[in-house]
Amino acid sequence: MMSSATQLGASPQTHAVAGKSVVMFVDDEERILRSLKMMFRSDYAIKTATSGQAALEIVKHEKVHVVVSDQRMPSMQGVELLREVKNLSPNTMRLLLTGYSDLQAVIDSINEGEIFRYISKPWNTDDIRGTVAKAVEIAHSLDQIEIPAVQTEEESAERILVVDKDPDVAAMIKEIVEEEFEQLHAVEWASDLNSIFEILEKTEVAVILSEIHLAEHDITPLLKTLKRYNPHVITMVLTSFRDTGALVNLINQGQVHRFLPKPIRRGLVAKSLRDALVRYRNLKATPALIQRHQVEEAPASAGGEESPVSKRIVGFMKRLRRNFQ
Amino acid sequence: MNDLTQLMVAMEPLSPDLTINEVAEILLSEENRRFLCIPVVDRGRPIGTVSRNQLESIFMTIYGRDLYGKNKVTQLMNASPLMVEVKLPMEQAAQYITANMQAPITEDFVITHDGVYHGMGSVIDLLSAMERRVAERNVELGKAYRSLKESQSQLVHSEKMASLGQMVAGVAHEINTPLGYVKNNVEMAHEIHKDMVGLVAGFKALLALFDAEDADERAVSLQLQQVEAMAAEFEENFPQEDVAGLYGDTLYGIEQISEMVLNLKNFSRLDQAAVSNVSVNECIDSALLIAKNVVKHKAEVVKAYGEIPNVSCSPSQINQVFLNLLTNAAQSIDDFGTITVKTWAEGGYVHASVQDNGKGIERQHLKKIFDPFFTTKPVGKGTGLGLSITFKILQQHKGKLRVGSEPGAGTRFVISLPLQQTQPVLKEAV
Repeated sequence: MMSSATQLGASPQTHAVAGKSVVMFVDDEERILRSLKMMFRSDYAIKTATSGQAALEIVKHEKVHVVVSDQRMPSMQGVELLREVKNLSPNTMRLLLTGYSDLQAVIDSINEGEIFRYISKPWNTDDIRGTVAKAVEIAHSLDQIEIPAVQTEEESAERILVVDKDPDVAAMIKEIVEEEFEQLHAVEWASDLNSIFEILEKTEVAVILSEIHLAEHDITPLLKTLKRYNPHVITMVLTSFRDTGALVNLINQGQVHRFLPKPIRRGLVAKSLRDALVRYRNLKATPALIQRHQVEEAPASAGGEESPVSKRIVGFMKRLRRNFQ
Repeated sequence: MNDLTQLMVAMEPLSPDLTINEVAEILLSEENRRFLCIPVVDRGRPIGTVSRNQLESIFMTIYGRDLYGKNKVTQLMNASPLMVEVKLPMEQAAQYITANMQAPITEDFVITHDGVYHGMGSVIDLLSAMERRVAERNVELGKAYRSLKESQSQLVHSEKMASLGQMVAGVAHEINTPLGYVKNNVEMAHEIHKDMVGLVAGFKALLALFDAEDADERAVSLQLQQVEAMAAEFEENFPQEDVAGLYGDTLYGIEQISEMVLNLKNFSRLDQAAVSNVSVNECIDSALLIAKNVVKHKAEVVKAYGEIPNVSCSPSQINQVFLNLLTNAAQSIDDFGTITVKTWAEGGYVHASVQDNGKGIERQHLKKIFDPFFTTKPVGKGTGLGLSITFKILQQHKGKLRVGSEPGAGTRFVISLPLQQTQPVLKEAV
């Protein structure tokens, strides 16, 4: 926005429409669309759709850099739309904008939509501007890179880390890996922070399958920090804990790959692990893809909330990154 | 520790060789005074008992002792005495003994261990032990009853909170949508205003240059160009009709939000008397508005309201009843269906029916749907208290609740409320 007359003409936002990035908003309430369109139209070429079907028609026929969709719409829900968008156009960044935190919708948005961000209604204008700008930037740089075909052939033994205080969980994952995978992947088990650090320090881990709580500690900060410093490591959450707010943060700040419910469902775990390993290999082969899963900085924690645990994690991660670079 | 061993006295038994006279001496001795009889044991096995009562029949007869005193005790004894195994729980022992003893009580009972004589138990001791036990159990039952009652009211409360929570979450979503664009629009209006302030400043500067006598022509034309460019960009970014639309949308959104707040107020009826004369049609409308978020994606609602008189009821509770029936109806529909709501007056009652074309209720479930805790929903999805509370509310209104269902075709609930309440509806009905 211009704030004084002298800035006129220097504005970078006034280039031709043809050169603008395409951002699409989907909501069954037209007033939401009008409001967002007005807010963003000087920066991007805006498309709007009042239904998932209409949105898919647009994605099929033209390049869309970013899709921001409502969740609750008649006939096609937001997550369903974003899943289809992912299949049609994997480089299109997907965001969910919703006023209703339905737990199942949040889980599906992780597991099926693999969304970039979850934004709550009513939104904060600066936040949504920043988030959309980030998504546009990433979509553009994704377009610059050559993405090799998905590599499934070249299987190598990778390391899977199970973080859970229950040894049975680790044993069961090990059993699943042994029975369902041709390649023998090593399954490590950590039941406390120290052993997590030890394992991460001595070896490279491809996939982390983690509980949310370890003893009395909330270990989501670890998962978030890990993703920030080691973005190619794929994190999956395996828990019986259900909290919409925590999951939303795991999307935005942790880019968690899958949410798997306890009790463990064998087929689901096997399939998710397979997907995770493919994604890990792709990220290793084409590191530029990592930006797809770029995380949001966690908001500065208030007052005494910064626990010694999180400080330790950050310190450790920084050291670890140096080791592997 | 076995119950019966607490009662048991290891009484020295009689040998079958003893005479009646000898037995009489033993029975009279101080240590045996508490017992009505003494066991006769042959090689470990009890073969009978001799009671004071039996001895009396001899000793009270003239020359009885002289005639029979030298006879063997086995001739006098009761050869089928009351016998219980020591392993038997006290309740069962007491049951057996009270069923088989004679009145007046003339004998106590023999306690055996795998058929071998173990000791004697007194009937009186057994009965008083049982009495103590019953008293203890009464205290326990009283406690259990009170805690059940407490947890029931907690459950009813948590069901109310759960449906309230669901309702609030639904309404929150309904409010968040207009709130989303209203907030965004106001923030944009703020930015538009800031741009306009810049524009006005530009024009003022231009006017100042016009007024100045020594104005440099180049400066004037530069300022003119700037102002023109600003105005053009402003109009491009914020076309007039769009800005007008922005205010229109904002006012519309605020209207929506206030309507929803009003609905919530009407639904809760917190500002009204607990019992009043209300229109059932209005109650349904109020519940429909609250259930809108649940219903609108699941069904079209067809209203067929009749001309009905007001009824005296607790409107907040009747609203709750309709909310429950409407959400159940919506939840029973898999894709998209129809919910038909009808009202009519007949036979001193106002009736209202809520009918859906959802999946229906299985015949074997139909009898149980009003039972507390009965639910076919997955764990965590329903408490199974919704319809039981609905039923209770109608009971307290002296009303009726009927249901008909066809699996695969749908379900119809009919509620009936009496036009006249014969007695005041309880203030806190459930």
